Amino acid sequence: MTPDVSSDRARRAELNSVCVVIPLFNEAEVIAAVVEDLRGSFGNIVCVDDGSSDGSAAIARSAGATVLQHPMNLGQGAALQTGFDYVVSQTDATHVVTFDADGQHRVNDASEMAELALRKRISVIYGSRFLDKRTKPGLKKRVVLQVAALMTRAFTGLRLTDAHNGLRVLSREALRKIRLEQNGMSHASEIVHQLAKSRLSWKEYPVEVLYTDYSKKKGQSLLNSINILIDLIVK
Amino acid sequence: MLSQWILVAAFVFVGFYLLKARRGSNQQAIRRIFIVIALIAGLLAVLFPDYTNVLAGLVGVGRGADLLLYAFVVFGLFYAVYQYRRQLWQEKVNTDLARALTLTQAQLDKVVEERESS
Repeated sequence: MTPDVSSDRARRAELNSVCVVIPLFNEAEVIAAVVEDLRGSFGNIVCVDDGSSDGSAAIARSAGATVLQHPMNLGQGAALQTGFDYVVSQTDATHVVTFDADGQHRVNDASEMAELALRKRISVIYGSRFLDKRTKPGLKKRVVLQVAALMTRAFTGLRLTDAHNGLRVLSREALRKIRLEQNGMSHASEIVHQLAKSRLSWKEYPVEVLYTDYSKKKGQSLLNSINILIDLIVK
Repeated sequence: MLSQWILVAAFVFVGFYLLKARRGSNQQAIRRIFIVIALIAGLLAVLFPDYTNVLAGLVGVGRGADLLLYAFVVFGLFYAVYQYRRQLWQEKVNTDLARALTLTQAQLDKVVEERESS
């Protein structure tokens, strides 16, 4: 049987109401491929360029993304919040997918999550790399992420298995409940905290994180989880 | 010892300030009162050094010099915490400003694009 083109198109039409938000900072090597891959499934790709100095913004733009540019580097959390503000104030998207610029997420996971959110009317879907065996994070990373997930569980009561995954689906309603004040890397916990308070429906979805040599360079260290903890207490 | 109670209270206050202080005119008034008290106390300590020994005796610290050292540490710490909070606030203002600029630019881009395509 030939691939079913018409259902592909229907799927694409469905996902037209979903906007992908990508915080972008110096990812010139990979951003074009990431944007092009996403354009196969999603109609609207927004890159928030956080003061890149390597021409990432222009590359993303010519790959077909809408590019918002911070005048200086503020941090990934700030870039996400700018993207959320843009979606709420200047588009009529019903959902946002947050996606990392370094190519560590799979587009298929993102579109499956978005479809699930649309079909089942779930407000928030968190991607988790620990729900199946596909992702091989290595021991150190596993420890850091498990500690983060335990901390999140202690603070919010949400039984998340992976609190620091950049791949999520957020409904427009959820976006209205989020106001990220942590500009740096603590926003992942902050999103979970704020959404936990909102009591919106949520789910975790198994995703694979691709640890390429490129994305490995940009991982978080164990000590940085101390920073995240302090950031969340001292506001 | 009285001095221990005072010092513990001072450190607790600084810790509380680190976690909870919000910007406002009350906060500013408290800070200003502190500064005025510190200035007057400093002046008196210079003019009447012997009285620092008397005061030290009253609160149970050995010498006036020790009392001054304690006061210096508490004020220094408070100052560091205050500056840290100020910096956080400043960062937030910067972020809001940069974000407003970014979103305005996006709106402009859209208008320009629509005009060019029509």
